[in-house]
Amino acid sequence: MKKVLAALLAGGLVLSTVGCGGSSKSEVVATPDQSAPVAAAEENKKEPVTIKHWYWADNTEYSAVMQDIVKKFNETNESGITVVAEEYPWDGGGYSNTLFSAAMGGGGPDTASWKLTSTPLFTANNLLANLDDYIANWDQKDDIDQNLYDIMKQAGGTENIHVMPWNTQILYVYYRPSMFEEVGIEVPKTYEEFLTACEKLTRDTDGDGKTDVYGFGMRGAKGGQEPWGSFIHGRGGNFEDMTSPESVAGMQDFIDLYQKGYVPPTAPTDGFNEIIANFKSGRTAMTIHHTGSSAGMIETFGEDVSAFPFPAGKGQWTSMGDTENVIFESCKNKDAAFEWVAYLATGEGQKIWCEATGNVPVSKTVQALDFYQNNKFMKASIEGMSYAGILPILDTTTEWISVTWPNTVGFALTGEMTAEETMKVLQEELYK
Amino acid sequence: MDKKHISFGKIFGLYLPLIAILLFLLFPFYWTFITSIKPEAELYGSVVTYWPKNTTFEAYRKLFFEFNFLKAMGNSLVVTVSTTVLSLVVSVLAAYAFSRYRFKGRKFFMVMFLTNNMFPTVLLLIPLYAIMRKLNILYTPGALVLAYTTFTIPFSVWLMNGYMNDLPSSLEEAALVDGANRATAFIKIILPMLTPCIVATGVYIFMNAWNEYTFAVMFTNEANRTIPVALKSLIGQLGVQWDLLTAGGIITIIPVCILFFFAQKRLVEGLTAGAVKG
Amino acid sequence: MQEKKASIWPYLLIAPALIIVIAVVFIPVLQAILMSFQSYDLRRPNNIAFIGFENYIGLFNDKLFWKSLFRTFIWVGFGVGLQFIFGFVLALILNQSFRGRGIVRAVSLIPWVTPGVLIGLMWRWIYDGNYGVLNDILMRLHIINDNIPFLSKASTAFPSVILTIIWQGIPFFAIMILAGLQGISQDMYEAADIDGASKMQKLFRITIPSLKNTLFITVLLRIIWVANSVDVIFNMTEGGPSYSTQTLSVYIFNKGMAMDLGYASAMSLILTIILSAVAIPYLINKFRTEEE
Repeated sequence: MKKVLAALLAGGLVLSTVGCGGSSKSEVVATPDQSAPVAAAEENKKEPVTIKHWYWADNTEYSAVMQDIVKKFNETNESGITVVAEEYPWDGGGYSNTLFSAAMGGGGPDTASWKLTSTPLFTANNLLANLDDYIANWDQKDDIDQNLYDIMKQAGGTENIHVMPWNTQILYVYYRPSMFEEVGIEVPKTYEEFLTACEKLTRDTDGDGKTDVYGFGMRGAKGGQEPWGSFIHGRGGNFEDMTSPESVAGMQDFIDLYQKGYVPPTAPTDGFNEIIANFKSGRTAMTIHHTGSSAGMIETFGEDVSAFPFPAGKGQWTSMGDTENVIFESCKNKDAAFEWVAYLATGEGQKIWCEATGNVPVSKTVQALDFYQNNKFMKASIEGMSYAGILPILDTTTEWISVTWPNTVGFALTGEMTAEETMKVLQEELYK
Repeated sequence: MDKKHISFGKIFGLYLPLIAILLFLLFPFYWTFITSIKPEAELYGSVVTYWPKNTTFEAYRKLFFEFNFLKAMGNSLVVTVSTTVLSLVVSVLAAYAFSRYRFKGRKFFMVMFLTNNMFPTVLLLIPLYAIMRKLNILYTPGALVLAYTTFTIPFSVWLMNGYMNDLPSSLEEAALVDGANRATAFIKIILPMLTPCIVATGVYIFMNAWNEYTFAVMFTNEANRTIPVALKSLIGQLGVQWDLLTAGGIITIIPVCILFFFAQKRLVEGLTAGAVKG
Repeated sequence: MQEKKASIWPYLLIAPALIIVIAVVFIPVLQAILMSFQSYDLRRPNNIAFIGFENYIGLFNDKLFWKSLFRTFIWVGFGVGLQFIFGFVLALILNQSFRGRGIVRAVSLIPWVTPGVLIGLMWRWIYDGNYGVLNDILMRLHIINDNIPFLSKASTAFPSVILTIIWQGIPFFAIMILAGLQGISQDMYEAADIDGASKMQKLFRITIPSLKNTLFITVLLRIIWVANSVDVIFNMTEGGPSYSTQTLSVYIFNKGMAMDLGYASAMSLILTIILSAVAIPYLINKFRTEEE
């Protein structure tokens, strides 16, 4: 019996010593992503290269599309590159944290799908490759608007471009034409008309004294800062000075919509899922989102759904959502990595992805395709492009978006904070 | 005894509270199942339906044939079982030492094990990731098992220590007097008596490893994803895939319940099969 | 029972557990303690420096910290307290013999087997202010006249998440206590029966005293676990609306996710000290009774 006990103990010890001993030989061990690929055997000039790519998928179909693109790229590229794409959960933005922790821990992929807001955190820690030279020497450089490169540059807070454009999502207003007809209003042309429409579309349809249809589906949870920005600018305010009387007036409009009951009472915690569900179920008459949801809308309503760009008041603004790709500084084959992200930006990868997901392409060539010109939702997106913008991207932005904005605006909606107080907090926290 | 009296007592002492608690515990599960077979239009309908008008098992088919959920389940099982076995073995030994021996540094080690539980994992992510990479076990099930055991072991040691202290030590003493050595006494007497507590602790470890997300997303890649990560992948930026998510939940729960159905017998048998009637 | 001193056995027995824990967690925890005295914000890596107790002073002046701390007490008090009571009752029930007991034991485990991701989403769905089944049930029973947006109002959000954590934790206590109940010798109950003791008397004179160690340690471990738990709250409300469900561990998580690791570490240390303070009376008592 002693033996059994000793064996158990020994087993435990071996396990734990194996655990400890490993650390000493760590330098010798090669990174796993260097294993030789089998593809491109006929290409004998260039060494076969493997690129590890991380991405998230918004649903299982998109995941399949991504794998298709990878497969196509691996088959057609002439440099012997094999991309291995691994999916990570979006996790409400937790994706960027997973990526960051891995990169800081010395692991992580060669390339990854990206959100601009996390750029300052990564560039501050020198984790991203500088793409300046790659882009300057790239034959398809001009297929992407210079404006986009500038935005990428600003986001990193440095002089260099670290982020490769991939696709954008311009927010616009979805509406139900049948409901507009029922209350007898036209598509709003101005910001004020939009606010009036919210009021008029709020109705008690079955006469039981309770509101059944709300004019507008407000997003008060994380991510709600995007449509909210349109209200701030509608009164002539901006993000640089959120405490200006104009900005505060926009905030007041936002609060009023909630307090007067023109938006569902669940608004403070409504996220993408809720605003889309409420719109689809007919509980709201308008909501703000991008083309990513248009396929589902058509499936639900057929012809009874349309879109208009967020109208102008004293100012006009809509949020440009974004998705990019980056190359990590630790990547050993940056040339190959660039070939891959370029394929996604202007090549076949761009076309397949944008057609499947309904995102707005960054490649001018792809934008010019019929598919984008004849689609009413794409049209609303492209119309919005001229005044579309992004939040100032600072190292505080991520926390501001995921914690400060939803909670502070929550206080405002329920009347615990005034519009002035709210905007003061938002200003301080973003620029701290 | 009066039979009617018993049944009356049973109704109020057993069945009514049992039904109330079960209703509370199981309703969300029922609702998960209903959601998994409801078409989306009905999910967001104006009337809440307690049984779907149209049932669809499409999500289950998709989960197995397109989403490869079985693989995630297999990965979870490997990680969970390894974690449970490893944690139990080392914790039983340590708990036994803490309970039955008095030695220098005992209090210190016990307190150390307890405080170990108190530190939030979010702060340990980056250093742990670096350690796993140095050990060269990153993106293998081993990384997860190691990460989980560091949290399950201290907990289990304390839990089993508590049980062991409640167990009378007279039996081992009797065995020792009879000339058995400590190891024999441990295996012949203590282990059988501990069975219920080992099962309970094992269940605890199993659940923790089965449900953990934060480490799982860091230390696995696509090849060895576990269930919580697979489920989380179903929530993208465009909405929750309710059908797949809830169906995934249901098929996650069922095998564990079946497993536990067989394990729970041990919870009862412990003492009666053991040595108390000695 | 006492054992001969100077034995190497106890050290050998605890060695495997100790080695695994120390090898992996010890260094990261030390690092975190060091970070709490630094301006360790990875968003500004060039500014990282030792700043003494500045993080702690910052905490002292941080209203959100105090509110989150207070909420943690409520969260643990109600959460663990009610989990314990319901779990105990369930364990006593499951310890009786009745038909289908095996199945009931197995299914009562369900809340515990459910991944946190799903718990959060399902309960959010149940509480939903537009399509939620809870609102529907309350309406049908004529308890309310209009839908309540449970998770969208600061006043109802926190009780709602507490109810969820209670739901999730009942099986833990039920299983642990059930296991403990098996250790009680039937002879004691038989003796009490002969003395004509009532059910309540047996519960308070035999069952609870015999389970003393088990009860204390399960409650203590559960307090630690619930105080540290993030995933249920995070998956349901992310700490909102208006911070109304932000416990200290959620605050730490948010700060950790924002990579303000110095501040998050300082908060973690405070939380650890508070949890230790909860454990200390138990430990002192335990070690004292051992020596007697």
